[in-house]
Amino acid sequence: MNVQPAANKAFSRRGFLGLTAAAASVPLLAACGGGSASQGGGGAGGTVKFWDMPWGTPAYNDAAKKITEGFSGSSSKASYQIIQWNNFYQTFSSAIASKTGPAVSTGGGFQAFQFEQQGQIAYADKVIDALKKNGQFDDFLPGVLDPFKTDKGYVAVPWQLDMRPLWYRKSLFDKAGAEVPTDWPSLLEAGKKLKGIGAVGFATGSGAGNFIGNHLMIMMMINNGGGVWTKDGQLDVMNDRNVEATEFMLELVSNGVVDPAAVSYTTDNLDAQWKKGGKAAFGMYVTGLPQRVGDTSGDLLVASPLAGPHGDKAALAFPNNIMMYKNTPSQEASEAFLVYYMGQLKSLWQQKLMNALPVFKSITELPEFTSDPNNVKIVKEYQPIAKTFAAQGAALNANMAVLDGGQALNQFTQTILTGKTDAKSALTAFQTGLQSVIKK
Amino acid sequence: MSAVLHAHPETGPSLGVAGPQKARRVLSEAGMRGRWWRFTLILAITAIVLVPIMVVVVLSLTPAPGSTATGLTFENITGVFSKTLAGTWLQNSLITTLSTVVVSVAVAAPAGYVLSRGRSKAVSGYSLLLFVMQSLPIITSVVPLFILFAGMGLVDNLLGLTIIYVSSTMTVATWMMAAYFDSIPISLEEASWIDGCSVFGSFMKVVLRNSLPGVLSTAIFAFLLAWNDYLVAIVFLRSNEIFTLPVGVQSFFQQNLTDWSGVMALAVVMMLPPIIVFATLNKYFSVGGIGGSLAGR
Amino acid sequence: MSSTTAQSGLARARRGLAPGGSGGGTLNRKSKLSGQTRRTFFWLLLPSIVLLILINGYPLIYAGVQATHDGSLIDTGNFVGFDNFATVLTAPAFWKAAQFTLWFTIVGVFGSWLVGLGLALLLRTKIPAGGTFKVLLLLPWVVPIVVSSTAWNWLVATPDSLIPSIFRNLGLGTPLFLADPHLAAVMVMIFKVWVSFPFMMMMISAALASVDTTVYEAASMDGASKWQQFTQITLPMIARSTYISWILMTIFCVNDFPTIYLLTGGGPVDATTSLVVLAYRSVFQDFQTGTGVAIAFLMTLTLVIVSVFLYRQIRKSSVE
Repeated sequence: MNVQPAANKAFSRRGFLGLTAAAASVPLLAACGGGSASQGGGGAGGTVKFWDMPWGTPAYNDAAKKITEGFSGSSSKASYQIIQWNNFYQTFSSAIASKTGPAVSTGGGFQAFQFEQQGQIAYADKVIDALKKNGQFDDFLPGVLDPFKTDKGYVAVPWQLDMRPLWYRKSLFDKAGAEVPTDWPSLLEAGKKLKGIGAVGFATGSGAGNFIGNHLMIMMMINNGGGVWTKDGQLDVMNDRNVEATEFMLELVSNGVVDPAAVSYTTDNLDAQWKKGGKAAFGMYVTGLPQRVGDTSGDLLVASPLAGPHGDKAALAFPNNIMMYKNTPSQEASEAFLVYYMGQLKSLWQQKLMNALPVFKSITELPEFTSDPNNVKIVKEYQPIAKTFAAQGAALNANMAVLDGGQALNQFTQTILTGKTDAKSALTAFQTGLQSVIKK
Repeated sequence: MSAVLHAHPETGPSLGVAGPQKARRVLSEAGMRGRWWRFTLILAITAIVLVPIMVVVVLSLTPAPGSTATGLTFENITGVFSKTLAGTWLQNSLITTLSTVVVSVAVAAPAGYVLSRGRSKAVSGYSLLLFVMQSLPIITSVVPLFILFAGMGLVDNLLGLTIIYVSSTMTVATWMMAAYFDSIPISLEEASWIDGCSVFGSFMKVVLRNSLPGVLSTAIFAFLLAWNDYLVAIVFLRSNEIFTLPVGVQSFFQQNLTDWSGVMALAVVMMLPPIIVFATLNKYFSVGGIGGSLAGR
Repeated sequence: MSSTTAQSGLARARRGLAPGGSGGGTLNRKSKLSGQTRRTFFWLLLPSIVLLILINGYPLIYAGVQATHDGSLIDTGNFVGFDNFATVLTAPAFWKAAQFTLWFTIVGVFGSWLVGLGLALLLRTKIPAGGTFKVLLLLPWVVPIVVSSTAWNWLVATPDSLIPSIFRNLGLGTPLFLADPHLAAVMVMIFKVWVSFPFMMMMISAALASVDTTVYEAASMDGASKWQQFTQITLPMIARSTYISWILMTIFCVNDFPTIYLLTGGGPVDATTSLVVLAYRSVFQDFQTGTGVAIAFLMTLTLVIVSVFLYRQIRKSSVE
C-alpha cells in the first residue's frame, strides 16, 4: 500500500497562492461605503437625544434621566442614554460618523473641542444669551466660562467642576508628629516624617487607566506658575518653573515620600490606600474622597493649596461641559433643552448625588452643599485659583485632549515616578512627544 | 511474545490470551502508585493555577461592608440580580453566544472539510485569505464595522453582534475543524462513495458523525469568544437592557468602584455558564479514536 | 526482527494509521475531483467566504484608507501616501514595542504549549476525579479577562498585596511586580501563559483523543521505551494540531490587547507596550488615526509573512 503520510498532505493543502478572491471583492466593497447616512433610531419627531456619562452612582443617572424626561419644549421631547466611560471616544466617534449620535451630550473634558475641530459641534452662543436673559449667567462662578470661548463662539457650556484638591488624613499626621504642609519645603519635611511611620507622604498613581499621576505632574507645574502652554497657547514645556517643579517631584520620589510602586497603581489601588487603615497620609485626588472610600468619620480633610517656591498658588480643575452637535432634529430644540437642563442642575446637588463642584454660586450656597466642610473649603480656597490644562492660557482647545489622554504625558509621569531620570531630559522627551501629536 | 505479535496485520496486534492479562496485572501494581502520585501532582498544579480564581470566588462570598451577614455568604450573588440587570444581561449573553456557536460550527465545518480534503489553487488561496483577514486586530475593525452596521440598523442589537462574533471565530474554527478532519482517514468516505453516497452526503453522514470531539472543541472556542468579548460589544451595544454580561460587568465596575463583593459576585455569575457547559460536555472529549472502525476490516 | 517491527510499527503509527488501517488521504487519489465535487466544495465554502469578505475584508480596506490619510475616526483627512508608515518605522517606540511583542509571543506560545502539553498528557492517564480537574484547569481561559486581570492586580499590585507579602515573609525582599519594568514584563508574560494554556491543553487533548491507544501497547510490546513512544508516536500524532495551535496562538499573542492593557496599561514607561497596545494608544489616546492604523497594518503584514515562512518550513519537513 502506497500511503501518503497524513502530515504531508495536511500542509500541502495549505500552500499559498493568489489572493484572487480578495482582489475580486474589492470593487464590491467600495460600493457599500461607510457613513451612508441613515438616521439611527430616535430622530423621530424632534426628540432631542441626550447622552450622559456615569458621573456618580447609578442614582445620579436615574435623577438625570428624570430631569431629561421632564423636558417639554414646543413640540419636542428629550431622551436619555447612559454611555460608559470605557472606550467612550470610540462610542461617540462611531455614533457621529454613522449619524446615529446624540444632539446634546456630556462627555470627556475636552471632547467638545475635539469634535469642534472635526466640524461636528454646534456653538452655544444662543444658549449663553438665553442664560443671560434668565439670570443664570450671572450665577456662574468666576472664570468657569472663559475656557470655552473661542473666536467662533462658545464651544460648550460648563456644568460641573472636577477639582483636584489636596487631601490629608489627620490621624496619620498626628501619629507622625508632622504638620500639614503649606508649601513645598514643608511637604518634603512632613513626607519624611510620615515615611518614618510607614505612611505615604504624597499618594498618587499612574497605572492602567489611572490619570491621577498625570494630573499631579501638571498641577505641580501650574502650582509653580508654569504649565505646558504659554498664555497664547503655544507649547512651552521647557520653562524654568516646570523644571523646578519636576525636580521637586524627583526629590520626593528619591526620598521615598512617593510610594515606589505608585507608577503602577490603578485607581483601585489608590482608593485602597486612602481607605481607613490605609497608608495614604497626603496627596492630590478627586473631590468627594471620604464618600468614595467610605470613610466619612472626618479623618479625611481637604488641605489648603500649597505655595510654590516663588509663592504662587494654583489648583487644577477640569470643567466638565455639555455640548451640542450639528446632527440634531432641531437646533432650537437642542438649545431649549440645554437651557432647561442648566436650570435643573440644582436638584442634583440638592439630592446629594454629585461629588464635583457646581458651576453656579447659588448651588454652592445650598445647605446640602455647605453641610460638608470639605466642599466649602474647596469652593473658597481652590476654585478661585483654579486653572485648567491650558495654563498658562485660559482657553481650551483640542490639543488638551491629546495632552490629557496621550502617551507623551503618561510616559513623562511614569518616568518621573520611577525616578530614574533627570528633570531636563524627561521634559525634553515630553516636549518632543507632544510636538509629534498636537495640531498647530 | 514476538510470535504472537506478528500475526495478522489487518487485525492488528490482537494479542494472544496470555498477553493482555499479564500486561494488565503488571500495570495495576505500579499503576496504583503512579495513579496517586499523579493525583497529588495535578492537585498541586490545579491549586496554584486557580489561586486568582479563588480570589474572585472568595471576594464574591465575602459580605460587603454594611451587610449583616457573618462569614461567607451567597447574598452578594443573589443580591446582584436585584441590584442590576444581571438577569437580562445573562439572557442576552446566552442568546448571543448560543447563536454564535451554532452558526460558527455550521459555517466552519463545511469550510474546514474543504480545506482538509480539497486540493486546488482556490482552496489554498482561501486558506491564505482566512489568515490574512483574521490578522488585523479587531480594535481597528470596530469603527468601520459600526458605521457599516449602523447603516443597516444592526447596532445596539444582538443580531449585529452575533454576526461579528461568528466572523471573528472563522479562521480558528475552520482550522480547528480542518485539523480534526485531517485525522479522519478518507477511507471512511471512500467506503460511503462506493455505496453511492454523494460528497456532501458522506460529509454529513460519515465525517461529521465521527467528529464530535472536533465539533465540540470548535463549539467551545466559539462559545468562549462570544461569551467573553467586550471590546466589540461595548461599542455596538448602548442600551443597558441589551448589554451582554461583559459589558454589564464593566459598567457595574465603573459605577461601583468600592463594591468589590458586588463586582466579584457578578463575575461569578459570568463564569458559571461556561463552567457548566464544560462540566457536562467533558466526557465527549475523551471519545476514542477512529481506530475502532478500522480494526474490524 | 523485533527492532524492525518496532520501527515499522512506530512508522505506521506516526502516519496516523491504526495498525492495519489505512490513513487519511485526499480526494485526488480516487480522482473524485469531478465537477460535482467542485460544486459541492464551492457551496460548502460560500457562507464563510461571504462572512469573511463582509466582516473582515471591508474593515481591512477601510483601514488601508485610514493608514494612508491623516484624518480622524470621523473624517478621512488628506491623502499622505506612505508618510504614516515612514513616521512609524522611524520611531524608537515602534521598535521597542516590536521587540516586546516578539518576546511576549515566543514566551506565550511555547510557554502555554508546554504547560498545555504536560497537562494534557497527565490528564490522559487514569486519575481519580480526572474529569473534574479537566474542567477546573480550563478556568483561566474561561474567566473573563476583565475579572482575572483584577484578581491578578489584587494579588501583586502593591507592596502589601498577597504575593509580595509572601516574598517579604520569606526574606526575599519586596518585589514590585507591576512597578518595576522588568518584573512587569515577566508578569505580563506569566499572565498570558496562565490565560492561554487551557486552549492548548484542549487542542492537544482533542488530538490525543483520536490516537488509538492500542498502538502504544503494540509499540511497548515491540520494545520501544516510553520516551521513544512519546517522541515517535505521540508527538507526530499531534503534530498537525500542534502546528496549527502554534500559529493560532501566535495570532492571539500578537493581537492580544486586553491581557496587557488591563494589567499594566502598557507601562511602566512602555515596558510592556506591545504593538497592538501602541496602535490602540496612538488611535484612541493620541488621536493619531493614521499612524495607529499603520502600525496595525505592519503587524498584519508581519504575521502573514511569518506564517507563510512557517508553513513552507512545515511542508518541507513533512516530506520525508
